[in-house]
Amino acid sequence: MKEVSLFIPCTVDLFAPRIGEAVVHILRRVGVNPIYHEEQTCCGQPAMNAGYREEAKKVAKHFISVFEKDPVIVSPAGSCVYMVKDHYPEILKDEPDWFRRAKELAPRVYEFSQYLVDVLKVEDVGASFEGKVTYHESCHILRGLGISEQPKKLIQAVKGVQLAPLDNADSCCGFGGEFANDFPDISESMVKEKVENFLASGADLLLLNEPGCFLNIGGYLNRNHPGKKIMHLASFLATNGREAEYGN
Amino acid sequence: MEQNVRDEILAKLKAAPKAIVPTRPHLPPYKTLSMDREQLIAEFTARLAEEAVVVHRVKDLRAAQDKLSEVAVEEGLKKVMTSTDDVISQLDLPAWGKKNDIQVMTPHEFPDRFSYRDAVFDQAQAGITGADFAVAESATIGLIHNKDQARLISLAPILHIAIVPVDRIVPVYEKVMEKVFAKKGEYPSQFVFISGPSMTGDIQGVLFKGMHGPRKVIVILVG
Amino acid sequence: MEIKTEQFTELAKKELKNDRSRLFLKLIPPVMKGKREAGLASLPDAPAAMACGAAIRAEALSRLPELLQEFEKKATANGMKVVWTRDDKEANEFIKNLAKEKGIRYVTKGKSMVTEETALNELLEKNGIEVWETDLGEFIAQQLHLPPFHIVGPAINVPVEEVRDLFMRKIGLKDPTLDPVQLGYAARLFLRDKFHHVQMGITGVNMAVAETGTIINVENEGNIRFTKASPPVQVSVMSLEKVVATMEDALHMIRLVCRNCTGQRLSVYVSMDSRPKKKDEIDGPEELYIVIVDNGRSKIYQDVKARDALRCIRCGACLVACPVWRQIGGYAYGWAYSGPMGQVLNPMLLGLERTQELYRASTLCGACKSFCPVGIDHPSLFLYYRAKDVLGDPHFKSVDRPWIERQFFKMWSWAASTPWAWNMGVRMARPYINKDAKDGILSKAKGPFQGWFRSRDIPAMAGFTFHDRWKNQIKNKG
Repeated sequence: MKEVSLFIPCTVDLFAPRIGEAVVHILRRVGVNPIYHEEQTCCGQPAMNAGYREEAKKVAKHFISVFEKDPVIVSPAGSCVYMVKDHYPEILKDEPDWFRRAKELAPRVYEFSQYLVDVLKVEDVGASFEGKVTYHESCHILRGLGISEQPKKLIQAVKGVQLAPLDNADSCCGFGGEFANDFPDISESMVKEKVENFLASGADLLLLNEPGCFLNIGGYLNRNHPGKKIMHLASFLATNGREAEYGN
Repeated sequence: MEQNVRDEILAKLKAAPKAIVPTRPHLPPYKTLSMDREQLIAEFTARLAEEAVVVHRVKDLRAAQDKLSEVAVEEGLKKVMTSTDDVISQLDLPAWGKKNDIQVMTPHEFPDRFSYRDAVFDQAQAGITGADFAVAESATIGLIHNKDQARLISLAPILHIAIVPVDRIVPVYEKVMEKVFAKKGEYPSQFVFISGPSMTGDIQGVLFKGMHGPRKVIVILVG
Repeated sequence: MEIKTEQFTELAKKELKNDRSRLFLKLIPPVMKGKREAGLASLPDAPAAMACGAAIRAEALSRLPELLQEFEKKATANGMKVVWTRDDKEANEFIKNLAKEKGIRYVTKGKSMVTEETALNELLEKNGIEVWETDLGEFIAQQLHLPPFHIVGPAINVPVEEVRDLFMRKIGLKDPTLDPVQLGYAARLFLRDKFHHVQMGITGVNMAVAETGTIINVENEGNIRFTKASPPVQVSVMSLEKVVATMEDALHMIRLVCRNCTGQRLSVYVSMDSRPKKKDEIDGPEELYIVIVDNGRSKIYQDVKARDALRCIRCGACLVACPVWRQIGGYAYGWAYSGPMGQVLNPMLLGLERTQELYRASTLCGACKSFCPVGIDHPSLFLYYRAKDVLGDPHFKSVDRPWIERQFFKMWSWAASTPWAWNMGVRMARPYINKDAKDGILSKAKGPFQGWFRSRDIPAMAGFTFHDRWKNQIKNKG
């Protein structure tokens, strides 16, 4: 049986572990055996984004040593995949051996929807959902990794689902890691706009496949529009859209 | 002191490390490059219409004069300033003006730049010029400014009338530059591309024509 | 213009409460984005055209000293006077002295961002020379003493009532109209009089062509053409990165800048000056000065990565792309340049310490980069500046980060590369973080995360993390 190594970001591990469980569930359903290296911790983005490159390098090296023997690595977080593929070689370029290892690892790291659709050639994972959903295009997934069709194909293959368009779907939700905390007024304005677009779409459920966006938009909805639900794509597919509570 | 400043700045720039430069991709040619004469004229006319330029097509210079008379009546023109470029000089506008009871001024009749400036600002109801080039890529006419094509004529009056022989229409701007900048040391003091009437949207994004330059442009296509 | 880059967060907060600005920001950027897209669609291959734009600017920058010298040689041979100035003081002094020497009482100005950088207007006014901005938006902004809201529409957000009041106060408007067109015409009449009698005009430079020694300006209104036609003295001010190698390159950049800015194939007027007027010409300048301004750019140029910020051709597309700019508008950025291009340029020109919030106020969403016709990678530059800031790099004028932040990331990175420490850290932090959790949700928590909780909840830190769930439940469930 095909084996993939799970890269579960710290946001999922600590604040939304059900998303990780959903990923495992779906992979098993499509005949893939996920393994999980328990020594994994974080991709290092928080340090990178704050400008602490030496510290980010330390974390990157740990990540590389944990994962570099795996032929395929799959993650439900596009921004973390982007960090590994794009930034690891950048920050390690002055250390030739680590640079080489980072470059060799990069093509083997996949975002969840990309892995299902592009590698496994699977779009229908046997899910069903009667209702209208809409999809938020996370920045690192869309513009960083160029992934947009894959999640939509997975959604559209769900039996009974209606995928409604979202205005300004590709506009940032205002998470940006430290940004949401350091520039709360601007961040709030951005997430408010995203939620207004969601509400205007007429959809029952907002789907996305980035944990940061999930925590951000979900957190705003939970505080301000408690009836409105958001799900990570993996959770949606794994539970037929039924387990949409924000908590873990 | 000046030389020192220059040398200091250049020295700093020269001392900087070298960068890797991205390669230029292949660019497909503009569609106007594969158009024949009639297609170019049609394309140019379509672009002009998009910019709210009024276009009249006439078959020759004689017809252009008649069209000009019509326009003058429509626009209520009594006093105009014209250039003396090679298109306009073929129209004998001073004579035309006499015939149509329109005062036709040209820059040459003024003793100095300041009296000419007064006239082109305050008296000319329209500026009439030819066109050295027209570019079908956009609604663009090209004017080489020199002693026969003063700058303010196509700029200060509220109406600009351009007489454009159709054989001056080229597909892309490059064709114009090849001619205008052909001879080193003989570049015009100024060359302009004009693409329709003056415009702005600076107040609340509301677009309107005629901010500082002409509010209306009329093109008479000849040929 | 007073530099307020250190007040970004407060200014942003203020702007978020400005209903008129917010209404404008909701309506106009989508329109501008649509126009840009339509404009780009008129190119046979827009992505290739943009990539070509990036290559042209990168090449020009890599050859900067050589191209500047070539430009100077050709321009000077044609009769233009090229003046080099190291900084704002030198540039302003030269222009002031020239004006004084010629007995100039007022100048008309075509839009020039670099002169907003050098605060030229203030210096001239202080020395008794009236300055009239003539681009309608710049004129309004100047009269209202406002910084630019958008790089190309500096006063586009100002409510029409304010414009009416201003015009009634300052330009003799009699009819209290709220029609932008009538207001525009009133400004036209007022400024026309300035053009009519002006003796010295000042413009910026969109592009300087080394091959021919030509300067190029693009505009829609005609105020720059007037400023170049009417007075006997013309001064065109150019920041030193504006040079391109050939006329062919310049044409390509013009196609790109017009489409990316307003969606036009070409702006209404493109004027190209190669020399002062010839003896037998009746209008145009007798004397044409090109003032080349460094003002920190030769320093930026030393850093190969930061140098990319100099590719910018001031199209303004990144502003309407940016989800942050679209919340707050231009004022919050505190200087001549706003939006992502301001966030990459201001820190280099003013130093990292004075602009700390500017390069941090980004989610790195990449919308700016995707719109940029010269391929500037703004997010990458933001990360680069943040890293330089942490290093306390004196070349970039950065000073130390707070000690506690340094310790946090040291500790955090050690834990994140030491699994047992990570797991222990999680176990220790959890009860502290979850102190105020209700039904598995946190609506508040102690510590440095107050910003998050102002408008959002977050799930409590999982009692059973994914690590735990894997180990104890799902590992063997396959």
